[in-house]
Amino acid sequence: MTSKVLVVEDLRKYYPIRRSLSEVLTFKRGRYVRAVDGVSFYVNDGEVYCIVGESGCGKTTTGRLVTKLIEPTGGVIKYRPSSALARVDDEFVVGGYIDYRRLPKKYVKLLRREVQIIFQDPYGSLDPRQTVYSILEEPLIIHGIGNDRKEREELIFKVLEDVRLSPPEEFINRYPHMLSGGQRQRVNIARALILGPKLVVADEPVSMLDVSVRAEILQLMMDLKISKGLTYIFITHDLAVANYICDRVAVMYLGKIVEEADVLKLVNEPLHPYTKALISAVPEPNPSNRFRIREVPIVGEVPSATAVPPGCRFHPRCPYVMDVCRREEPPIKDLGGSHLVACWLY
Amino acid sequence: MSLLGVKNLKIYYFTLKGVVRAVDDVSFNVREGEVLGIAGESGSGKSTLGYGLMRLVPPPGRIVGGNIVVSGKDITSMDEGTLRREVRWKVISMIFQGALNALNPVYTIGKQLVEPIIFHENVGLKEAYERAVEMVRLVGLNEDVLRRYPHELSGGMKQRVMIAMALILRPKLVIADEPTTALDVVIQAQIMNLFKKIKKEFNQSIIFITHDLSLIAEIADNVAVMYAGKIIEYGTSDNVFNIPKHPYTQGLLKSIPRLKSKEKLSWIPGTPPDLRNPPTGCRFHPRCPYVMDVCRREEPPIKDLGGSHLVACWLY
Amino acid sequence: MRKLLRNELLSIFLSSNTSKVGITFLAIMIIASAYVVIFMPLDFGLRYWNNPTFWADYPKLVPPEWVNIFLGGKLLRHTILVAEKPTLSLEGVKQYILTYSHDSNQLPQTVVFKLNNITFTYTSIIELSVRRPDGRVINLLVIQPLTSGVSERVDLSGRLEVAVALSRFLKDEFNVSISTTEIIQRKLEFKILMGTPVASNGYVDFKTLRGNYMFNIFLRSDDPTARIGSVEVVVFGWCYGFMGTDHLGRDLSQALLYGFPVALLIGVVTSVITATIGALAGVVSGYYGGIVDEVIQRLCDILNNIPLLPLLIFFMFVIRMNEELRRTISPLAVIIIVLVVFSWAGIAIIVRSMVLSIKAQQFIEASIAVGASSIRVMFRHILPQVAPFIFAQMMFLTPSAILSEAALSLLGLSDPSIPTWGQILESAFANQAMYLGLWWWIIPPGLLIMYSAITFVFIAQGLEPIVEPRLRRV
Repeated sequence: MTSKVLVVEDLRKYYPIRRSLSEVLTFKRGRYVRAVDGVSFYVNDGEVYCIVGESGCGKTTTGRLVTKLIEPTGGVIKYRPSSALARVDDEFVVGGYIDYRRLPKKYVKLLRREVQIIFQDPYGSLDPRQTVYSILEEPLIIHGIGNDRKEREELIFKVLEDVRLSPPEEFINRYPHMLSGGQRQRVNIARALILGPKLVVADEPVSMLDVSVRAEILQLMMDLKISKGLTYIFITHDLAVANYICDRVAVMYLGKIVEEADVLKLVNEPLHPYTKALISAVPEPNPSNRFRIREVPIVGEVPSATAVPPGCRFHPRCPYVMDVCRREEPPIKDLGGSHLVACWLY
Repeated sequence: MSLLGVKNLKIYYFTLKGVVRAVDDVSFNVREGEVLGIAGESGSGKSTLGYGLMRLVPPPGRIVGGNIVVSGKDITSMDEGTLRREVRWKVISMIFQGALNALNPVYTIGKQLVEPIIFHENVGLKEAYERAVEMVRLVGLNEDVLRRYPHELSGGMKQRVMIAMALILRPKLVIADEPTTALDVVIQAQIMNLFKKIKKEFNQSIIFITHDLSLIAEIADNVAVMYAGKIIEYGTSDNVFNIPKHPYTQGLLKSIPRLKSKEKLSWIPGTPPDLRNPPTGCRFHPRCPYVMDVCRREEPPIKDLGGSHLVACWLY
Repeated sequence: MRKLLRNELLSIFLSSNTSKVGITFLAIMIIASAYVVIFMPLDFGLRYWNNPTFWADYPKLVPPEWVNIFLGGKLLRHTILVAEKPTLSLEGVKQYILTYSHDSNQLPQTVVFKLNNITFTYTSIIELSVRRPDGRVINLLVIQPLTSGVSERVDLSGRLEVAVALSRFLKDEFNVSISTTEIIQRKLEFKILMGTPVASNGYVDFKTLRGNYMFNIFLRSDDPTARIGSVEVVVFGWCYGFMGTDHLGRDLSQALLYGFPVALLIGVVTSVITATIGALAGVVSGYYGGIVDEVIQRLCDILNNIPLLPLLIFFMFVIRMNEELRRTISPLAVIIIVLVVFSWAGIAIIVRSMVLSIKAQQFIEASIAVGASSIRVMFRHILPQVAPFIFAQMMFLTPSAILSEAALSLLGLSDPSIPTWGQILESAFANQAMYLGLWWWIIPPGLLIMYSAITFVFIAQGLEPIVEPRLRRV
């Protein structure tokens, strides 16, 4: 019986838009960018949970919220700490879970040892002025791991071996600009792993890498998951990658989850019209495709997150739109086998 | 009819740290109405090749050898003035990488579309404007977009505008350099559909440069695979995708995640070489699973395996 | 390991010609300053520059010696003749003879006899006379020193007894009558002393007599122990030294040299402190945002809009007026402080906007994700990115500080005890140097001020590609 490592309920993150003077003077209500607008899901121990969506759907924000890099406007995030962490601050462990809202500042640092993030940009996520050694040493120093330089060096060497940057001596003195994209991403992964986390959020970790490198990094992440007992939340816009690496997938659109299911089911029997559109839009390396126009059953473009359409937020683009879609937001229904959809068609 | 003939083209960058051989002896042809896909990863030289075809290579880069013949005219030795007036944008045009930022933020779309027409052809403002309207409709946009400014448009709309701009003078050849990079997958599909439509309706020749092999399959008739500044495989789309010959092409194809299958992916170990100091012999040999002794010593010549399927590999 | 980046930066910096020139100029400035610090006393200003008696034997308002090259040796050189021992020593008389060779048509500004440390037990008298090349002798003056151990300085110009002697000499030797008063009024002392009267159209003019002049100093005393320590005759020429002299006879080359380390000190200290404060304020402001940001930015706005010069004038005025303040605070320190206070705001604003864009980069987020504290992020990640820009700004601030100090000096508001180039300019203008055509007093300090400013501007230009990567030559 797998336990849930992370439980998220009705998570919201709104960003206020700066109001112009005329708006302030006419007492118009402030507008918000509803980046994440009521998202609920859970992640099982040891699984790879994917969040898929296009840009602006809120998946990146969700990732940041789960790693406590930003604070939610509303909703609950509950994390199940390892026994080691639970012992330290057990006053805040309720029912085996830490509620992010209740966690005082001084324990956030401890939380970071367990919940880590791998960033998307292999170029921007490493300080160009620090060597690989220095970048990897920083988390150790911050958390006081390793009593002296020798111990820290050992840990750094070990993690470099784990991400297959071998021999480590060759890499520790290099600066980021001396590494290839794939190597940088490995350093990124190493940095996320050096503290020994349990839950790792991977925010589009391979999108900015060359195609031939992606497979290698994905495989590395899978191997590490098994060897280190990790749980991943994998954020991506590429359904093909999600299909390859994930166990369960959630599709996000304009701040809400519109469908969630086991990946095989989602790809082969998509329910939500948006999911269907996404699947039909993915290009395939089949040369006879060039004779066919790719049918994508979707209309128009993604609306701005400041002006979310009323009712079902997908309705202006939906080929199956009905009257009720324009008026009311569809609730999430479980159609059996943990396949959840938010759509009036069901 | 051969529209574009590239022979032994060499484009090098002369940097303070050494000479980067970005394009090193590349030859290929493009016929009218044909779409050629150039596939390669970062550092393969494909973007430089694209720029080179329009003689837009930024310094310290230069074309150091070979020639480019367009519709019978050798543009490598043409003087800049004639090139600008007669060839650029009129005969060959380009959709640049990151084109979303290629629009001038202080001018309306209409003004930017009309400008090349007026510059290159002697038509009045009214007629130029009408042509702009026509082109904008062709790419699937509403004509009132001409009155808008770039920041008012979404990414997909801007990309369509860029395509309209590239086509505005009805050039014989359009070079598209990673035209869908920053776009979401749905918009990407729509833009690819647009390319297919243009190809069909205008019999347009396109050189499509990208690292995403799936996109090439969507549009290209012929494919040239580039690695470390050289074309290592060339053939029809069917040939290259279904019976890839070069180990690099094979490796690439095996590393693409597919939507409908959970087949285990394999990849190519190692990293692309530093173009200042490429490996001796076959440039791919340090990463090749079938490497032989000769691969380390000598560069393989290009062999025709029949049916215009060309490979540069010692295996053949 | 850090060196790699530094080497790369160094090569970018040196790739442009302007920076090479700038570095050379800076090297010159540093060498000159080192020379001054090693070889010149630190209180040069107070002890020498502001002490007019030190310069008593220097000619006043004369151009540099090398001007003679262009003028064909027309200008009379400044000569100092010294004798430590009497040339002739007889019973009751000690005679000092100092020979001066005059081979120019130009007459000296003046001639001064210096009798240093006259000692005697009982009364002695000293006679000063001169024997001209034409054999004529003029007895100029008789002195009777009253106390022993005193030095006498006799300036022949404007001395009544001398004028009398010269008038009588004219009458006796040449039968020309010019009254004593006229001699003094029309400053004819040296025309007579060293010239032969020539009559022309009823006017009496003098033709300069060239040749050897023997200046005689007779010490007549019955006291055999009476002696003069040393005897000097200073023939004040019309050129002097490397850079000429000013109205007090002060050797300008010394002051100009002294100006190097002062300029460097003002420039560098001001810019370093300003840049440091500005950088810190900018980083804190940009990183924290919110109310901290607002407060600092408003402060910067206020400071930026206050006019600097009137304020400086005000402060300097107050300090001047208040004796006590003048003693405790060095006016130089005040200038530096005021310059710093009003310059850091500009830096802070720019640094802040740089920080805002750096802050958005993913590696900053990554550090936070790993658990870094704000302080750590600011100092280990953000500040190093901003550092090249700060350094370049320092290069711009330095000439600005130097120029501000020069402007203040020109207005007479700077510290008069430390000679700076601006000070020299100020006294030049105050003494009508422009109208008198005393170019050597005006042009060198002006050029040096420009030179120091250009040095740093060139260096700053060379630093531009480092700060702005797009400008780099690949």
